[in-house]
Parts: sequence; C-alpha cells; structure tokens
Amino acid sequence: MSAVGAPALELHDVTVAYGRRPVLWNVDLTVTAPGLFGIIGPNGAGKSTLLKAALGLVPLAGGSVRLFGRPLAAVRERIGYVPQRETVDWDFPVSVMDVVLMGTYARLGWFRRPGVAERETARAALERVGLADLAGRQIGRLSGGQQQRVFLARALAQAADLYFLDEPMAGVDVRSQERIFGVLDDLRRQGRLVIVVHHDLRTAADWFDGVALVDMRLVAAGPTATVLTPENLRRTYAGHLDVLDELGRAVQRGGRTS
Amino acid sequence: MSPAAALPYNTLVVAAAVAAVGFAAGVVGCFGVLRRRALVGDAASHATLAGVVSAFLLTGRRDLPTLLAGAFVAALAGLAALVAIRRFTRTRDDAATAIVLGVSFGLGIALLSGLSARGVAGAGGLEQFLMGHTAALTSADAIALAGVSAAAVLVVWLALKEATLVAFDPAFAAACGWPVPLLDYALVALVAVMVVVGLPAAGAVLVTALVVIPPVAARQWTDRVAPMLLLAGTLGLVAALGGVAASALVPRLPTGPTIVLAAAALFAVSFFFAPERGWLARRRMLRDVARRIAAGTLTPDEDHADG
Repeated sequence: MSAVGAPALELHDVTVAYGRRPVLWNVDLTVTAPGLFGIIGPNGAGKSTLLKAALGLVPLAGGSVRLFGRPLAAVRERIGYVPQRETVDWDFPVSVMDVVLMGTYARLGWFRRPGVAERETARAALERVGLADLAGRQIGRLSGGQQQRVFLARALAQAADLYFLDEPMAGVDVRSQERIFGVLDDLRRQGRLVIVVHHDLRTAADWFDGVALVDMRLVAAGPTATVLTPENLRRTYAGHLDVLDELGRAVQRGGRTS
Repeated sequence: MSPAAALPYNTLVVAAAVAAVGFAAGVVGCFGVLRRRALVGDAASHATLAGVVSAFLLTGRRDLPTLLAGAFVAALAGLAALVAIRRFTRTRDDAATAIVLGVSFGLGIALLSGLSARGVAGAGGLEQFLMGHTAALTSADAIALAGVSAAAVLVVWLALKEATLVAFDPAFAAACGWPVPLLDYALVALVAVMVVVGLPAAGAVLVTALVVIPPVAARQWTDRVAPMLLLAGTLGLVAALGGVAASALVPRLPTGPTIVLAAAALFAVSFFFAPERGWLARRRMLRDVARRIAAGTLTPDEDHADG
C-alpha cells in the first residue's frame, strides 16, 4: 500500500559522489503521477546518476529517496527500468522473447521458470512495441531502434506504475522514436509516471509534461513551459556548451536526432 | 567382446568420472565466459597449487579430499585477494588478475620445490597437480569428483534463469531487486569448485582451459543459452575423454595438456566451420554481399529498413 496521495517520486537532498568527485549535489525533486517527465542536461551532468540513485543502483552520499511515499525496497515491484542500450552485450546468446521475459522474473521469484502466463505477458509487450514477429530472433540481429524497443517491451512486461528510462531515444531512428513515444504516452494516459533521461532539447518541449534541468545541481524543475526558458537553459548549459549553439544544432538536425 | 571390457575397472571408472568433470566444467564455464569473467577461473586455478602443497604440509596427509580441500581454500583466498585488490587499490581487473595469478602460482611452485629439495617423505606425486595425471586416481576418488560435478550442473540448471539475467544485464537485475553481488560470488565460487574438481585431471596450469574453451567453442554453434550449456558440456566431455585416452595410451604423458589440445581442436573446428558465426560462413556471406552489390540486386533487408 502506498501512502494515499504520496508523490510517485521524491528525492530529498540527494547527493551522490563517485570517489571524491560529486556528481549530484543536494537534489530535491518531487514528481507526481501521472505524467511524462524529462530529465535534461548536458553530458556528464549526472542525469543517469539521478535515475540510478532513485533506483538504488548507486549509493547515496546523502539525502533520501521515497517512491510512492515508501522506501524503494517496499515498492520494487511497481518500478520498471530501461537501462542505456550500450550497457549490455548485444551478442549475448538470447532471443528477443528471452529478454522480454526477464521483465517477469522478479514476480516469478527464485528458481521458478516463466510459463504460459509470462509468455503471454511478454508477447503482449512485444505487440505494443511492434516487434511481435521478431520474437525468436537473436538480439544482436536487430537495429538500434529495435533493440531499444526490446528493452522497452521488457519494462512493459514488468507491469510497473513508475518507469525510469535512461536515454531511450539515443541512436534511435525516427520511426522507433515515434513508436517509443507512443507507448510512453499510453502509459501516461493509463495513470503511470514515466521518467525519461533525455538529451534532445528540441523534442523535449513536445514530449514532456514536466522537466527537470540538471547540471550536477537541480537548476529548475516543473511544468515544461515554465522551466524550458532561455534563462534556465543558459544556466544549465553554461559551463559546458553554449546553449544557443546546442539549440541551433538541434534545429539543424531537423527530424533526425543523433 | 568389446574393447572396453579389456580395460581394468578402475580405468573405466576414472574415464567416466573425468568425462563428467569435463561436462560440468563446460556447463559452469559458460556463465564465466558470458559474464566476461573468464580470467577469474585462471586466477583461482593458479592459486590451487599452493593450497594443495599447504594442505599436505599442515596435515601430513596426501589423500585427494584433503589436498583438494586445501586447493579450494586457496582458490577462494585467491579470489578474495582479487576482489580486495580491485576494491581497495583501484587496480583494473586484468592487472589484478595477473597479480593474483602470478603471486599465488609463484608461492605454489616455491612450496613445491622447497618440499622436493628437502626430500620431505611422502611429498612425491604432488607435482602431478601441476599438469594433471588421471592414472593416479582411485575409483573412489573419481566417483567423488563425478558427484561434485553432477551437483555443480544441478545448481546451474536450478539457477539458469537468475544466472542468465545477471550475466546479461546486471543493472536491470539489481533494479529488479536481485542480489547481484551474491549471485556473482556464487557463480565465481562455482567456477572455483570446477577448477578444483578438474585439478587431478588437468592440473593447476591448464584446468582453466576446461572452463573457457568449451563455452567459447559452443557459442559458435548456437544463439541460445540452454543449447550453449549443453554443447559446452558435451565438448568438455569429449575433450576430457580424449585427454584420458591419450594419456592412457602413452605412458607418462600428463592428462592436462592432452585435454587442452583436444579442446583446442574442437574450438578450431567450431571457429572455422560453424554455420553463420564460423569463419568460412562469414567469408562466404561477405563475398555474397559484394557480388550482389556489384550486380545491383541487393535490396535493404525489410526489418532493418523498419529500424
């Protein structure tokens, strides 16, 4: 049971350091469901670390995380995760179906094998991302966009209420991007909260209800329209890259993304 | 009358047991290779020699269970040293492995040479753990080795789902609440068990090949984990039997090198001739693509156009 009305995600004064180098500093962030929420900032700003801190994948040097008003361990089954695509070996000997089934493992528990119900869940997830006909294929024989959709399908198979996605649009063609965005949009409409680490400023305004601008510290957070101002962007990207340059390149890219 | 009937009972039992060890080493080794921890077995195996000699020095006994218990403790100590070096000195994996491997093996050789130089009574035969010598195995010992091997295979089969998940995507596994470090330690401990069990057959220097070569060869033939495990086990079994047969036929030929050479032969076949992943198949595919491009008949693959 979650505390009634508790926000889906609450970071309080979160600080994370790798060795002696702080990567996140005193971040306070509260996001409520439903919604599609972007975490935006320059390279090395700590965006992925913020996700990992929320998921308990990196130790906190300070602060606390609460999900649905409770500690992570109590609500793990309600959390879905899409890691960065480059973090795994795509030559690994598993099929598309094998990977999506991994989303059902936590509910299955120790030593129990996926059965008919789990395969049904996985197949439905593959349908949603448009990969049902590739279920038997080895995962290395997919395009980057298809691989990303496999990861998304695995997260859907987790049947979570709160999703964390780390750069789901990186290295993904436009068709896959639209498909992924469509799925995330459905999740939002079903009342879920979807938190996305994102690097493309141009699409951010179209996609997200709310955003957090991060550059080690939280620069600003809130509804997209009020947060994505030139002044906030300048403060976020100041130490890294001229924000006008960044925006200019985003516009030049047109429909494509890197 | 079959030729096998002409062989003494002990030889047959030992051969069957070594075959079981080879199978289990291949199966367990798959997850070491898939988790990219292939060298961990190497560090553990080189540490076992010091354990064998120390066990003899401390107990004065030279029965196989005592010596292998010493080997197992040493293997775990070597792995603990590996973890500690990585954690507290920020040394990278490969360098930490090289340090543990070199130092622990040096210690083992020094202890062994010290024993023979002083002519310690009963120390003779310990050097067989360097290269492996199955002819010295009793059938009781062999059956025990086969039993442990069977248990190791059973553990892998039980935890197939968990092991595959952690080997493929440890971050996702951790986010789902699986105890990733615990599973990793269990996996490494299992590799250490197989290294120790394989010690009498293959020896401290070469036993690691039994947990690495069959999995790598098996990967060439299949794109799925379960068939890979089965095939790696089979290849390990064949290599182990080949080694035992060769050293039974040629007196004084240690078993370890022949097992490794047999495994290498199987690997070479897999490397060249496997469908799709084999060298020949890849060459043929590249040539085919070049020809179709030249002829203008190559069209983009549909699923790839779909992105």
